Amino acid sequence: MLDLETRERAASPERERIVEALIEIAAERGYAETTIELITERAGIDRDAFARHFRGKYDCFLSAWQEMNEQCMTEMLSAFNSEQSWPDRLRAVACEIVERLRNDPSRAHFAVEVLAAGDAARARRDMTMRVIASLIDAGRNEMDDPEAVPHLTAEALAGSAYGQVYAKVVRGRSDELPELVPQLMSAAVMPYLGIDAGLAELARGFEPKARYGREVAKKSSRKAGEPKVAAEDYPPELARLPPGRHGLPREFVVHNQRERLIAGLAEAIAENGYAGTTIAHITRHAAVSRRTFYEHFSSKDECFVAAYDTVMEQLQERVSAGFESAEDWPHSVRAGIAAMLEFLAAEPHLARLCMVEALVAGPVVVERYDAAIQSFVPYFQSGREGRPPEVLARLSPTTEEALVGGMVSLISRRIIAGKAEQLEELLPDLVEFTLTPYLGSEAAAKIAAEKR
Amino acid sequence: MPPGRHALPREFIAQHQRARIIAALAEETVDKGYRAVTVADIVRRAGIARNTFYENFSSKEDCFLAASEFAVKEALRRVVDAASKVDSWPARVNAGLAAFLHYVASEPALARTCIVEALSAGPAAVDRYERSIQAFVPLFRMGRKVSAKGEELPGTLEETIVGGIFWILYQRIIMGQAEQIEELLSELVEFALTPYLGAESAKRIAAEESATPTAG
Repeated sequence: MLDLETRERAASPERERIVEALIEIAAERGYAETTIELITERAGIDRDAFARHFRGKYDCFLSAWQEMNEQCMTEMLSAFNSEQSWPDRLRAVACEIVERLRNDPSRAHFAVEVLAAGDAARARRDMTMRVIASLIDAGRNEMDDPEAVPHLTAEALAGSAYGQVYAKVVRGRSDELPELVPQLMSAAVMPYLGIDAGLAELARGFEPKARYGREVAKKSSRKAGEPKVAAEDYPPELARLPPGRHGLPREFVVHNQRERLIAGLAEAIAENGYAGTTIAHITRHAAVSRRTFYEHFSSKDECFVAAYDTVMEQLQERVSAGFESAEDWPHSVRAGIAAMLEFLAAEPHLARLCMVEALVAGPVVVERYDAAIQSFVPYFQSGREGRPPEVLARLSPTTEEALVGGMVSLISRRIIAGKAEQLEELLPDLVEFTLTPYLGSEAAAKIAAEKR
Repeated sequence: MPPGRHALPREFIAQHQRARIIAALAEETVDKGYRAVTVADIVRRAGIARNTFYENFSSKEDCFLAASEFAVKEALRRVVDAASKVDSWPARVNAGLAAFLHYVASEPALARTCIVEALSAGPAAVDRYERSIQAFVPLFRMGRKVSAKGEELPGTLEETIVGGIFWILYQRIIMGQAEQIEELLSELVEFALTPYLGAESAKRIAAEESATPTAG
């Protein structure tokens, strides 16, 4: 998650030039022969400039690949949402992908070459593949009996389509890709809508939208400042994947096994509670094997502690960044609380894990929970500075702890009620509640009521 | 001594060496991924001299392609063998797939090398991947004869089915679930039969077939 942020901060024309150069050279020469020298030469920059944006060749490949996958996701979803019926939606996605590959051969070849970077590159691709599979699997909603088709159907169809497209691209026969669309559509529609509906697809042919063509012509990737796909833009069938704060599905963001296991634990806990969660639940949600689990953690408790630490670390970073973003102390408090609520609302499962389940998970995390609570105390304590004596006299040594505790309990109650997503509504109340001891109720209410 | 007397053992040894080298390549690939494996790694794992490697293969790629050819041949032999023991087409699909999954589950290293690396090991591997798929196409194409719409079905349907099965196996292998691959049988049979027979019949027949013990 963090490297996405770092990358966005670093987004610049210089960086884009490097990525464009990388893609061209990788397409021409392959992964092994792509060197930083060649990239910097083509981009017209020096090595220091390269080092400002990337740690090395591998990092450059993987960052460019990650962006390409994100961009592909955004475009697929917009194609999917541009139509009404499921087969039309799926066809729009297929045409979009094919148009893009045909019109941008360098990127198409890059997508092949980057796989030489190893497992990480393959894992990113497979996340996109899972999203494509979920778009195919939406066909299930069109059936009288949604369980009538085996669950691996969509995954198999997506993977098979990938193999056929991949082979064409590797051979430099991208011009033949449009012929694949009706064939693949036909095979994809059949299991869900029946053989006749599948055969009807054969007559449809390749139907690229003019709109897509224009978008392809622009070619350049999404700028950092542009809004991302919002969670509500997702088709309902994707909505069950909990969107992260990027608005991208979990599959897409979570890219290594450890992170997957942590996310899997959070989901399993959201479903079964901590006590009811088994390792089988975790591995199923994380889609990894039991063996993989034990390669990373020796027990459920250990996985929980790792998850808790990861979440708290992120939460603390957010709060700290929010707090430092404002001019004066009251607004810092407001910004810190806002950052906390935003994070928890975007990640309801993680919110539940660190605010609710931590208290029932027993001795393994109770100490950590207390330490986490304590870590928020200094933000409030700094509000004592410069207050008049009569105010300070009202404050007790434990005021701050009480404030954090009260805030946490309000937040937990919402999460237990299943309203984590609406946590941000709490902002005015929490700001008023925490500022009142220092500023008096009138001034506190005023800041609480300010628009962001 | 008549030269013929040594011919057989020498050939036998050579075959044995090739198999050992192929197995070593597969094991090394599982450990570090195909791209990272060197001839030195293979030689060390197989416990042979470097010269012996080059007597058998011209390069690592050559060895990879031979491994893949070997695996496909062996898998196909088992599939044909199993399918020929039963009569109806759905029963053949079921028996053939059962034999295939059993082979993949029993040779996880080789399966990983041939299935997982096929889509990331470069152009020669793509040829091999497509040929592997083609090898299994006829088994499914027979379904057109029993399908009411056999002649209208999309021309690449069988490739799509076989490619889909490969992809599913590939995903399970990289997730470390090679041992559970045989549990996928009835779902994969259903997946393969559906375009020919429709979802309902496919489901029913797949369930019936999985209840019938198959030979092998």
